[in-house]
This record gives sequence, C-alpha cells and structure tokens, in this order.
Amino acid sequence: MKLTVDERWDLIDKITKQVVKYGEYKYTLKDAIAELTVKPLTGIPIAIAVLYGFWAFFGAFAGFFTDGFFVKLFDNHWLPWLQGVFPGKGGWLYYIFVGDPKADNCFEAFGVLTSGLFVAIGVVLPAIIAFYLFLIILEDSGYLPRLAVLIDTVLHKIGLHGFAVVPMILSLGCNVPAVVATRTLETKKQRFMMATLLAIFIPCGAQLGIMLEVIPEYVGLVMIYLLAGFFIFGFILNKLIPGRSPEILLDIPPYQMPIARNVRRKLWARVKSFFTVAVPFVLLGVVIVNIMYLTGFLDWLANLLEPILCGWFGVPKETVGPLIAAFLRKDLAVAQLSAIEMTTYQLVTSVVLVSLYFPCVATFAMLIKEGREEGLKGVLQYLFGSLLALITVVFLWGGLVHLIWIILGVA
Amino acid sequence: MGNEVKFMIGRIYFAIFGLVVLGIGILEILLGLTGRSFEWGIMEMSGEFLLWRGLILFFAGAFYLSSIKNFTDIHQLAKVVMGSVMIWIIAGVKIFSMILESIPGEEGWLNTFEGFLESYSAPYIPSLFLLPFSLVVLYYIRLSGEMSKGGGDER
Repeated sequence: MKLTVDERWDLIDKITKQVVKYGEYKYTLKDAIAELTVKPLTGIPIAIAVLYGFWAFFGAFAGFFTDGFFVKLFDNHWLPWLQGVFPGKGGWLYYIFVGDPKADNCFEAFGVLTSGLFVAIGVVLPAIIAFYLFLIILEDSGYLPRLAVLIDTVLHKIGLHGFAVVPMILSLGCNVPAVVATRTLETKKQRFMMATLLAIFIPCGAQLGIMLEVIPEYVGLVMIYLLAGFFIFGFILNKLIPGRSPEILLDIPPYQMPIARNVRRKLWARVKSFFTVAVPFVLLGVVIVNIMYLTGFLDWLANLLEPILCGWFGVPKETVGPLIAAFLRKDLAVAQLSAIEMTTYQLVTSVVLVSLYFPCVATFAMLIKEGREEGLKGVLQYLFGSLLALITVVFLWGGLVHLIWIILGVA
Repeated sequence: MGNEVKFMIGRIYFAIFGLVVLGIGILEILLGLTGRSFEWGIMEMSGEFLLWRGLILFFAGAFYLSSIKNFTDIHQLAKVVMGSVMIWIIAGVKIFSMILESIPGEEGWLNTFEGFLESYSAPYIPSLFLLPFSLVVLYYIRLSGEMSKGGGDER
C-alpha cells in the first residue's frame, strides 16, 4: 500500500491522537533532584558521595569474599593439599604449577594452580562483581549520564567531552570493553586519545582489588596521582594531536529504579566476559614468568635493567619480573610485587609503574583492533602513537614519583 | 496542624540538624587532615576515609542550611533530600560492611555467636547517629507529594 504525503500526515495525526497525552507538565521532586545532580555546585558534592559509596561498597564486598572465605580456602585447604599430592616436589613442573614448595600462602607460592587460581578467583572475581554491580545500578538508575554532563566542562579542557566518562568508568572494571566504548566518541583524535589515556592511567578492577589487598592505605594516593597524570597528559596530547573535538548534545533519561532482571543479565554478561578474557591470561602469565625465572632469563633482564629501575625509578631490580607479568595481567603483577622485599615507598612506586607500564595484552590486542577499523595506517598510528605516549609517560610520571620521595626525604 | 506550620517546624528542624551535620563534617575534616582520631562515648571519628566522610557530611550540612530559605519550594526540598541521601550513603555502606564483617570467623568459616554480636558493638561513626534524624525528610517528601496532588495552593 502506497500513501500520499497528505495520507501519511493524516495517519500520523491519528496515531498521535491515540498515543500522546497533552496536558500541563508538573515539575516534580524527581526533576528538582535531577537538576541538582547536574549543576556543578551541588552535583560535585553528590558525585563525591556517590563515589565514596562506590569505593566503600567495593572494599566491603570484595573484602568479605576474599579475606572472609577465599584466603582461608586457598591458604588452609587448597595449598597444603596440592603441596601434598602434586608429584615431583622441587621439579620444573611442580614449580610451574604449585610454585615455591615452602610457601605457606597462595599469594607467595606463585604457581599456576596456587597464585594463578587464587588471584583470578579469590581476589579478582569478587572485586569485578562488586564493581560491575555498582556500575550497572548507576547506569540503570540514570546517574551515569548526569555524571557525564557534570564532568563535561573538565573533559573539554583535554579535548574530550562528558560522554568520555563512560569508557573512563568502564575502564575501572576492565580496559578491554572500555577501549571498545571509545567508539561512542565522535572523532579519530578523541578515540585515540581516550584509548591511550585509559590504557595508561586507569587501573582495572582486577588491579584495584589486588591493590586493596597489598597497599590498602595508599590506594587513594595512587589513584589521585594517576588521575592527575590522566588530565596533564590528556591536555598535552590534545595540543599535540591534530583533529577536531566537537561539542555534543546529550539526552539525559529520567531517574528510575533499576530492574533486578536487567541488572542480573548485565552482571552475568560482564562477569562471563571476565572469565573468558582475563582468567586464561592470568594463568598464562604465571606459566611464562615461572619459565623465565627457571631459565634464568629474568635474572639476566633484571641485571640489564638495574640502572633504570634502581637509578631512575628507585625500585629494586627484582621488579622486572612483575613488570613482565604486567604485560599479561596487571593484577598478577601487583600480587607478585607483594612478595618482593622493599620499602613502602618503593612498593607504592612499583604499583604506580605497573599501572602506567604497558597495557595488558588483552587491552593491547583491542587497541590494535580499534586501529584496524581505519586500515593499516590506523593500526600503525594506534600502535606507535600509543607506544610513544606510553614510554614518555612511564619515564616522566614514573620518575616523578621517585623525585617526590627524594624531596620528602623518604627514598 | 496546617501545612504551613508543619513546614515551619521542618525549616527549624533542618536548620538545627544542618548545623550539627556541618559541625561534625568540619570536625571530621580537621581530624582527617591532622591524622588524629576522636572518641566521645559510643561515637568515634577515626579510620579510613575519615576526610572523605567529613567532606560529605560538610556538604550535606551545607545542603540542609541552604534549603531553609523558602523551605516550601520544591528545589529547596530537593536539597534536603540530597543532604539526607548523602548521610544514607555513608551510614548505609557502614551498616553493609558491619553485616559482612560479622559473618566470617577469625579462624573458622563462620563467626561465633559472641564474635557476631561483637561486630555490632560500639563505637559507631557519627553518620549512624545522624541516620534516624535524617529520615524525617521522608515525612516532608510525603507531605510535599500530597500537597502537589491537592493543587499545591497551600504552599
């Protein structure tokens, strides 16, 4: 059936009469609250309260499962049992799968079936669930778009806009979906900037979970330091990279109660993705680092990089192992750092270095994939551009922590 | 009692409450900045995030106080609601963490009955004391809703 223009308009009128209700809109309390959350003067304090809630919930939830149950399960039952039944104590295979035969906890054993499983299931999984649960509630309640509006002015200073907050926050869960989420940004310049900045400066939920275990009292400081780096290097990148940073119009949905079924589905999808993407890399990371250790390659590399690690960054040369592990999984690297003897300040510097250092291999693969959308030139631009930014940041921002400790007289 | 009187009482109530919340917020900020702690009876100001909690209470108090002028206006009520929500966030996550901490035991899987009860014993953070007083806002939300349904002329 083909309709003329007039007939089409008549049909539109008919449908509109049936489905649209006309009347005077009444301004409600919900509207007033929605307004408060986007105005900077009132919105920023509310955002601080929400982020505090986010952080406190994250710590309590992850701590409950990790310290309350998984530490006991892995250290008191799983590790002694495995050390007893695994054949060939002291052999290569034993070292790779069970780790140090004298270890009395799974953090320090460093075998695939001990530290590998403990980090992946005992520490990271509760952290990931806590993070995504809160994030989904913020998303579905309508608060996240308001946060985007609130942060819009600040992000404009570094050539991004409010919606860049979505990949930023997603990145606190896992950098991989966050790199994919940069597609929502308009220009190539914005996409490249965001992907590079989040891969360098934003620690993932897995890493945050481990940081809470290893340096709980310094996590806030590390986060502030990384966030400052995000904005300073964002500002510089914005000046250096050619391209446009256009304005956008944001449609903000009304506040609403999240629906339990949607929350459950989204949570499951994201946790499932963690299991398939992250867990194999954690286990593979342990295998590779153990093989490197057993063949003596790690010692050789540690000696080679000693002047840079000890001189420029002020950390022990043994951190080279975790830095290699960081390429596979950053959470694994932070866990490995806790087993190395060093001062608190060296530990904080090492954690900052691991955060800044190369993005994990899954994120790296995703960066290349994003570049591929724009052909070979895009891949090269993403690859070399990100690498250049990364090396500069690691040396400047990582070295600056050491300088701060020297000025404070603690290094 | 007319709605005007009820709103006048609300205005005085939230002015006093706002001052208390603001005062506690300032104290917590000072303690957080100096790294000290303070204990008064069963109330304690110490621990992780003290500075942040202080900052949030400070803003919550400021929200309450800024809402006193023209209290019946819906924008002002929204400030009172958000001030209360900020207290609920601090108190809520504290209660949540107390519940979670009370379940696992020191050595065994589950806590002993004594250990379970001990997890809920004093001292408490100030927000837990402020929580019941902040719930008064629910009455005013209801009142405001009833008034807007009835035309809102009385306001």
